[in-house]
Amino acid sequence: MSSIQEFSGYTPTWCPGCGDWSIGVAIKSAFVQLGFNPSSVFVVFGIGCSGNMNDFLNAYAMHALHGRGIANAIGIKLANHKFPVVCVLGDGDCYGEGGNHFVHACRGNFDITVIVHDNRVYGLTTGQVSPTSEKGKKSKSTPQGIIEEPFKALEVAIVQGASFVAQGFAGDVPHLISLIKQAVEHKGFSLLNVLQPCVTFDKVNTYNYYRERVFKLKEDFPTPDKKKAIELVLRSREEERYPLGVIYKVSRPTYSEQLPQLEKKTLVERERIGNLSRLLEVFE
Amino acid sequence: MKKATAFSQNNMNDFLIKIGGEAGLGIMTTGLALGKYFARQGYEVFGYVEYPSLIRGGHNTYEVRVSTEKIHSSKWKVDFLICLNRETFEKHKGRLAKGAVVFYDPEEFEVKENFAKVEVPVKNFLKEGGDSILFSNSIYLGAVIGYLGGDLEDVKKLLVDFFEKKGKEVVEKNFEYAKRGFKVGSSKFEILNSKQILNPKSEILNKSGGKLVMTGNEGFSLSAVAADCRFYAAYPMTPSSSVLSTLAAWQKDTGMIVRHAEDEIGVINEALGASFAGVRSAVGTSGGGFALMVETLSYAGVAEIPIVVLLAQRPGPATGMPTWTEQGDLLFAINAGHGEFMKIVLAPGDIEEMLELVPEAFNLADIYQTPVIVISDKFLSESFISVEKTKVEKILDSIEIDRGKLITADQVKDKYLRYKVTEDGISPRLLPGEPGYFYQANSYEHLEDSHTTEEAAPRVEQVNKRNRKIETYLQNHFRLPKVYGDLKKAKYVVVGWGSTKGPALDALEKLDNFAYVHFTHIWPLDREKVKKLLEPAKDKLVLLENNSFGQFGSIIEGLGFSFVKKILKYDGRPFYAEEIVESLKSLL
Ligand SMILES: Cc1ncc(C[n+]2csc(CCOP(=O)(O)OP(=O)(O)O)c2C)c(N)n1
Ligand code: SF4
Repeated sequence: MSSIQEFSGYTPTWCPGCGDWSIGVAIKSAFVQLGFNPSSVFVVFGIGCSGNMNDFLNAYAMHALHGRGIANAIGIKLANHKFPVVCVLGDGDCYGEGGNHFVHACRGNFDITVIVHDNRVYGLTTGQVSPTSEKGKKSKSTPQGIIEEPFKALEVAIVQGASFVAQGFAGDVPHLISLIKQAVEHKGFSLLNVLQPCVTFDKVNTYNYYRERVFKLKEDFPTPDKKKAIELVLRSREEERYPLGVIYKVSRPTYSEQLPQLEKKTLVERERIGNLSRLLEVFE
Repeated sequence: MKKATAFSQNNMNDFLIKIGGEAGLGIMTTGLALGKYFARQGYEVFGYVEYPSLIRGGHNTYEVRVSTEKIHSSKWKVDFLICLNRETFEKHKGRLAKGAVVFYDPEEFEVKENFAKVEVPVKNFLKEGGDSILFSNSIYLGAVIGYLGGDLEDVKKLLVDFFEKKGKEVVEKNFEYAKRGFKVGSSKFEILNSKQILNPKSEILNKSGGKLVMTGNEGFSLSAVAADCRFYAAYPMTPSSSVLSTLAAWQKDTGMIVRHAEDEIGVINEALGASFAGVRSAVGTSGGGFALMVETLSYAGVAEIPIVVLLAQRPGPATGMPTWTEQGDLLFAINAGHGEFMKIVLAPGDIEEMLELVPEAFNLADIYQTPVIVISDKFLSESFISVEKTKVEKILDSIEIDRGKLITADQVKDKYLRYKVTEDGISPRLLPGEPGYFYQANSYEHLEDSHTTEEAAPRVEQVNKRNRKIETYLQNHFRLPKVYGDLKKAKYVVVGWGSTKGPALDALEKLDNFAYVHFTHIWPLDREKVKKLLEPAKDKLVLLENNSFGQFGSIIEGLGFSFVKKILKYDGRPFYAEEIVESLKSLL
């Protein structure tokens, strides 16, 4: 069995108290508990404070461009579907810059896990609003308050075809570890949105703010019923409460499972195609 | 040469058939069918298609040049014009050769001019059969082949190949109509000339062997498979789309994964992920899609991940003229990507170069762990040409896969450093997944061990390392342009790259004392070697480019040369040999 130590790279440079610390610990612990080692898991990091985990977590990794991590992860998965592929992204990265990839990856049900550090700000670029900021939030880029409604990531994922949608909280590491494990073990596209206080740039969505408003899901969840799942999320939003746990889960063939090319071997293991004469016939 | 009567001026060893009509009436199918028909008879063929960016109602044309000798492009004068509508006639009557023959339906429109005519009662036939105008093209196909003294059985075989998938009934029906057209054509043939007009099949076939008819995009697809490309992603964009459809259709046979992703940014990032994981990967697009990929090219550059990009150009800016041709993206391709990193740009000029350069592109991408752009254009990507089957087989058989410094765990000495500083600039690459190791493909500047850095010294070390790959490439893989003719003796020397090669070579055959220099390895360029090569011709260089800036010309000018003339064309159409000849003759 591996150890947390094996997964630990550089000492993190996150602000003291930042939620990223606990998410980092939770990911490493989950990997250890899943029996992974740094050579047996592929991780794609976005660009942001969250993505800076690239130097703190040992694994075969791509430190992607801002917003593009999910697309990289899909490519990795299709090339070598035997390895677990996990994305560590910020909310700006995943829901803003990379929104198109996110929406369509749900549709494809690619067997990847997307962990989003939802801190409702752009941390690394010093605190502008992010797609999940609440309406009216004032920031450097929105001095009058943001006009847009927040992006509804959980609902979008459920509607778009993700087969596993969960929410965790950086203030509850044991629960988060369990969610990460479930998300990675799930076959298909898993979204784990993690409520992550940014202690430096967000004085509203603090640990205390969340502690007063989070609640763990009970026996009815996860549900395979989209309507029920969305109802729960919508109701919680209205009440300004945050469900924690696996909200929606359904068993659906993954993208790779539907590719006859991958029935026997992974793309990278396969032999080179030998005889091309059949292809030439088309041109005669 | 066989004697022809009514169209004795026509050179039946080299003629052009052009068919035109409303979009949606199967002009594309007929063009390709004609090409295949004559290629199967042993002729050389070249087919060029024009169509607007809409599905119904615009004007489509296909011109098919047929020759007993090797040809490299189309020709200007039309010998046989098949008019599915009046527009075809009006648009092309100025291009008709002396003795040209016009095929048309007098019920559709009248031809008052004094051309040889074959009146085909298409509307009548269709009325009798109670069928739609969608069969007109088969009637005309039969008519022109009948007129030329062709073989009805061969027409049938062709229709089977084309329509088999749609069912027996479709084949039969098309054949019935082709037969009626054939009768009309061949009765004219008998009246005009009792002898065979076309060269007998056996004669030419013996000379040249079996032929394949292939477009540039099909050449790309075929050689990508042969080069062991296992992942291809694209978002449809003319004129690159047929690579996506060709490779997608072949997936079952090739085992390749072909992805139509959500947008071009997704496309190239998926391909990069697959390449990182160890499979040869490529993407295809045109200018607009390429623009979206540019940030990721830069990532591939710094993270040193191999990737092959097909850039099939069309006229820009912006949406431009989607279905037409231009060489307007060369400097963009060379300069694509923020920051400084090595990028290789290869430009095939014809199908054979496509078949050779694509596998080379995959090798170079692996060897230098960097993006390689294969730049084509609509003219090369979508025009078809005949090529000897044995030649294609030979090229494909000779492909050697060189994955560069790809190593396995047992080759790792001491510690594995993904971005190890080496003399040639290339760091050994261990595929991710090897037990006992890990590293990142880092989009940030990084240390040898791949961790992020912002320190001055390792930054400089890594930049220098990456830049050294350029020197290594120039020493080992750069290739000088191909020279046709004698640079010293020539009165003028034409400089070109990419798809202008075909018209240039055809033009050269019509001229004395001209030479042609054709560049394939466009970037990086070995300045000194190129300077030395062009030096003897420095006072007589002529630039040939399908753009308005003379983009490649500006690179050559940057070496200290100037051009006595720039032949530039940017109306969306390819060059014809005839216009190049005229332009060059004006220099004399
Ligand atoms: C194409 C591009 N645009 C902008 C940036 C600058 N940038 C870096 S991180 C970031 C936002 C980070 O916010 P988020 O993704 O929420 O991550 P966080 O830092 O909050 O963890 C931006 C805009 C970039 N690196 N690339
Ligand atoms: S800025 Fe915010 S998100 Fe970034 S490290 Fe500091 S607390 Fe965390």
